[in-house]
Amino acid sequence: MNIAVCVKQVTDTEATAKLEPSSWRLDRSVTCILNPYDEYAVEEALRIKEAHGGEVTVVCMGPENATDAVRKALAMGADSAVLVSDPALAGSDAQATAYVLAEALKTFSWDLVLFGLRSTDGETGCVPGAVAEKLGVPLLSALSKVDIQGTTLTVHRETDEGYVAYECPAPAVLSVIKGINEPRYPSMKGIMSAKKKPLDIKDVGALGLDTTQVGLESAKTRVLSARSPEPRKAGVKVEDDGSGAEKIADFLTGAKLV
Amino acid sequence: MSDKEGILVVAEPKDGKLANVTLESITRARALTGAVGGPVSVVVMGADTAPFVAQAGRYGAERVYTADSPELAVFRPGPFVDTVAAAIAAADPAVVLCSGSPDGRDVAAGIAARLGLGLLVDITAIEAQSGAVTVTHPCFGGSLIVEKQATTIPLIATVRSNSFAREEAAVEPQVVALSVEFSADSLLAKVLAVACENAGIVSLEEASIIVAGGRGVGSAENFALIQALADELGAAVVADELGAAVAASRAVVDAGWKSHPYQVGQTGKTVSPGLYIACGISGAIQHRAGMQTSDCIVAINKDPDAPIFSCADFGVVGDLLQVVPALTEQIRKRKAAS
Repeated sequence: MNIAVCVKQVTDTEATAKLEPSSWRLDRSVTCILNPYDEYAVEEALRIKEAHGGEVTVVCMGPENATDAVRKALAMGADSAVLVSDPALAGSDAQATAYVLAEALKTFSWDLVLFGLRSTDGETGCVPGAVAEKLGVPLLSALSKVDIQGTTLTVHRETDEGYVAYECPAPAVLSVIKGINEPRYPSMKGIMSAKKKPLDIKDVGALGLDTTQVGLESAKTRVLSARSPEPRKAGVKVEDDGSGAEKIADFLTGAKLV
Repeated sequence: MSDKEGILVVAEPKDGKLANVTLESITRARALTGAVGGPVSVVVMGADTAPFVAQAGRYGAERVYTADSPELAVFRPGPFVDTVAAAIAAADPAVVLCSGSPDGRDVAAGIAARLGLGLLVDITAIEAQSGAVTVTHPCFGGSLIVEKQATTIPLIATVRSNSFAREEAAVEPQVVALSVEFSADSLLAKVLAVACENAGIVSLEEASIIVAGGRGVGSAENFALIQALADELGAAVVADELGAAVAASRAVVDAGWKSHPYQVGQTGKTVSPGLYIACGISGAIQHRAGMQTSDCIVAINKDPDAPIFSCADFGVVGDLLQVVPALTEQIRKRKAAS
């Protein structure tokens, strides 16, 4: 079973995100990492490959230095990677990203496309659904379990109450949640071999992309302003001298919260 | 200017009723009709939508599009996207509002891709002036508040729970039954089983009160103290239909004391309750990202320098194993006295 894993490079979750005021694009000069959710998707793809055979191909759209995130997925054990990178793609919104990823996915054959639940920067969680729609294959999102028998998938989708089990034939687009597995750390051998694995960097021309569908100018959404939220002010802090609970209860009653 | 008018709310069912986020969206939509026109319509989907129609009307939906089908009994993106696409064709709205839940996002993503609509996700505010609609979206873990517009009409947006008030304004809705033909491709994924081991649980996103435990709780067994406080607080707000829910920090989930659905933070859920009580949670930036838009934050932690105190409206430096049960008792006593 051949699997494509779509990944994104995001700003480190420890770093403070900034947008460039002229374009409202993400300032990517801060430390960047492989989107934490994507590690679960890469791991799941590797486990499926180990159980059923096949190839794992990483697909990414991002600036040229997104090769770092892609190499991490390769170091974990993916076989090859496609990075779509072009200045014309800068400022693309979730829908344009889905268009680019879908076009990249049309250039090779796969049985499954895996995504992490969402990115920790844009946090839309909507790219998997839009890619599935563009590819015309079923979407099953927020999965906590993926089993494969032949070309049939049995999956669990997490809900508040428990889960819903679905059965679906491949090909399909899946997104997985944290907790579906425990992602492996890249071994030293994996890190060394990742440097030699095929990483194909494609630009807009190489993919034959319609430039009216990508980039800041073509985005169907527009950022008007971005600001840091008013920092929350620390309120009252008291030492518990045995009356801490009573003081909280007084505070809650005073604020009419209970 | 477009001749598209009005707002279509895509209803989300929850335990046989409409989810609070749907009722909040209908309430907010009513206030926007002056600028984007009417009516406020709702599309309800399910095996039997009759109860949803009545509830939507109670909250002011002037028109309700219904789709009753066994194929819609349990959520699947395929037939749900087909149905919402049919509702948009029928209603011809200027704005489409979905729930910010995983289901709502799947529908919004599919619709936006199919119809080429601008997609605005996880909004916490929406304003309209002479047809121009502006939304607010906290992103990058809440460290940036972004104002956005879509360049398409209609636009489609997903709404974060607890962002808008929920107010009844009963009308007798006009009911329009949609006839939707599902494509064979839409039905490729089949529902095998629905597991409800946590039936009746208050969803974290919808809860009005959350009691969250961190590493300081010490063990899975000690979460009984957190649960007891949530139960007492939930019972105290019985007048409100929402309850209190238990949540956990990432450290707790990684330790296996609670499962992932309970996790609040950057790799868990983003919540915005009226009251968030953080017990034994240090308050790393990734945790604050998931809860800092709560209306009121109370923190209990042994470490006086824990970062959680910097965003807490009321903090107690102390041992949660003492303070939490005592607080549960305080709430019980005050309820009995009132």
